Amino acid sequence: MADSAEIMVQKNGGEEENMAAWLLGVNTLRIQPYQLPPLGPHDVKVGIKALGICGSDVHHFKTMRCANFIVKKPMVIGHECAGIIEAVGSEVKNLAPGDRVALEPGISCSRCDLCKNGRYNLCSQMRFFGSPPTNGSLANKVVHPASLCYKLPENVSLEEGAMCEPLSVGVHACRRAQVGPETSVLILGAGPIGLITLLAARAFGAPRVVMTDVDESRLAIAKSLGADELIQVSTEMKDASDEVVKVQTAMGTGIDVTFDCVGYNKTMTTALNATRSGGKVCLIGLALSEMTVPLTPAAAREVDVIGIFRYRNTWPLCLDFLKTGKIDVKPLITHRFKFTQEGVDAAFETSARGGNAIKVMFNL
Amino acid sequence: MGSQGDVRNGEEENMAAWLVAVNTLKIQPFKLPSLGPHDVRVRMKAVGICGSDVHYLKTLRCAHFVVEEPMVIGHECAGIVEEMGSEVTHLVPGDRVALEPGISCWRCSYCKQGSYNLCPEMKFFATPPVHGSLANQVVHPADLCFKLPEDITLEEGAMCEPLSVGVHACRRANVGPETNVLIMGAGPIGLVALLAARAFGAPRVVIVDVDEFRLSVAKDLGASETVKVSTNEEEVAGEVELIKKAMGESVDITLDCAGFNKTMTTALNATRPGGKVCLVGMGHNEMTVPLTPAAAREVDVVGVFRYKNTWPLCIEFLRSGKIDVKPLITHRFGFSQKEVEDAFETSARGGSAIKVMFNL
Repeated sequence: MADSAEIMVQKNGGEEENMAAWLLGVNTLRIQPYQLPPLGPHDVKVGIKALGICGSDVHHFKTMRCANFIVKKPMVIGHECAGIIEAVGSEVKNLAPGDRVALEPGISCSRCDLCKNGRYNLCSQMRFFGSPPTNGSLANKVVHPASLCYKLPENVSLEEGAMCEPLSVGVHACRRAQVGPETSVLILGAGPIGLITLLAARAFGAPRVVMTDVDESRLAIAKSLGADELIQVSTEMKDASDEVVKVQTAMGTGIDVTFDCVGYNKTMTTALNATRSGGKVCLIGLALSEMTVPLTPAAAREVDVIGIFRYRNTWPLCLDFLKTGKIDVKPLITHRFKFTQEGVDAAFETSARGGNAIKVMFNL
Repeated sequence: MGSQGDVRNGEEENMAAWLVAVNTLKIQPFKLPSLGPHDVRVRMKAVGICGSDVHYLKTLRCAHFVVEEPMVIGHECAGIVEEMGSEVTHLVPGDRVALEPGISCWRCSYCKQGSYNLCPEMKFFATPPVHGSLANQVVHPADLCFKLPEDITLEEGAMCEPLSVGVHACRRANVGPETNVLIMGAGPIGLVALLAARAFGAPRVVIVDVDEFRLSVAKDLGASETVKVSTNEEEVAGEVELIKKAMGESVDITLDCAGFNKTMTTALNATRPGGKVCLVGMGHNEMTVPLTPAAAREVDVVGVFRYKNTWPLCIEFLRSGKIDVKPLITHRFGFSQKEVEDAFETSARGGSAIKVMFNL
């Protein structure tokens, strides 16, 4: 196993060579050396221990792009991660070697209006793990700002730490849509994002959650994670009006908030038509560019459409939810792989397959 | 010859403009309901024509509302109180009032939470099957009649209704002293949105339209910049650039007062990340728009349906002079069969006709 990353190349007096999974071309990931930048005063060096694969990672892998992000040169993949601090910069006070931390991937500029107004997720200078041209974190080690590394509570594992990233999408969506103890929630799509949105909605106190999907097995998982009612739907637009009636009947009361975790014309049409007047539709799934949807009748009922881009200020809350047990993400981790060439290839293939693979996790 | 109503047996016969068929309005008797304890009887003095009134005239429907039997048209109105119900304390005969058209149920959860504009039992002037107010007199709940200050005319009172749409949109979109506003469309609604945005403190307002005359009216009413645009969807990208240049800084909020694919596409693309697009104009049911890229920049889309709790603010804006609606009233007609027909024809024409007003 000459190319196994488990065998570190000993160089320069015992320093391990840092290895990472590089995206070199379509469907081509190779474990190769990854030279780390020097440790700045506010940085930490983290030994990555757990890393999950995201749909966007798979998309980059298969097409060398994702929306407007284009992979123009080899890039380290991966961004959903947690690890153990190995070294801290001179100004770092709140972390020490040995600390287990979850990493928030994106480094924003802190100088623009959006950053200064707290909406740093929209920063135009954002450098985000695994979004070209910024290298990701499927590596033995990374260097990262200490302020974006959050110490894990004792009872929260490194894998759960890595799950904070996808969970953050659901948490941010629940905040933007103002989910609370009085909001009935409809979630379209029971994939990884739909499922963490379910967990987040429950944690925010949503009294009733109805979920839809085309796949029965994913609906079964949703049921086991606490969804109140499940509705199997089709991909046919002609079924939309019947399905609207079904979800409204399943909810019983008006639907206050709908999360479209798929992002197709059909799901947005269902969302806009099923949500009660004055309610909100939150578009999380980013599938199409242009959509054809009944926007006007929805707007004329003051059904607002809320957009989601990643998250902001979510790690502390995610960790608290995990610590108290308000959220249990462990059932979402369905497949585990080691950080070897074979492991990387198999992991991405599994994640791309979908189906019974929800979260595929690397253990490093 | 004004239709003041024939005097029979000493009682005036109340006349109204009835929509009896497509393109057919007839002035006919309109029997008023009896005056309830919380009602007032108002002599109508000023009634404006709305695009929805024209739509009903031409098609006997508007969205999912269908005119199935003859209905009195009109809803933008103001008049003089003549009689009050036994429980009415805040109005007296002679008071000049502006009328808020819609009577909600006050029992449902929407009403109780203050979103009465969304009440499923709403009874709204000239939304079938409820009769409108282009009549000599109407009976209406007193709490929906708002007293006009001395120096505000009855015509300005009638303008509170369309102005309320602009005010409600500015509230929903959070227009304020730090929000640069883009307005798509300089028709009657775009123009009241402009006036409202200024009154809410928007530092810069850029307005676009295909019609140069309407843009010049907008400039006179205080638009910072105007941009002439086309109806050609291919030109969106170029127009977004022109708009951004005209604004100078980022577009924080866009009010789409036209409601077409092209205007919404422009709105979604021109608005800054984290900004808001308010869809006011109701063009097509289904729209084809770049919703996802906008959502991925957290550009939210908020809708508006009529208004709620806007009359006091509108009246205050008029009283203080923060808003002057008088330039929007471009054509005036009396209340006779011929004039009713001419007025609607003028309003339907659009162009240089912005607000057509009846004086009764």
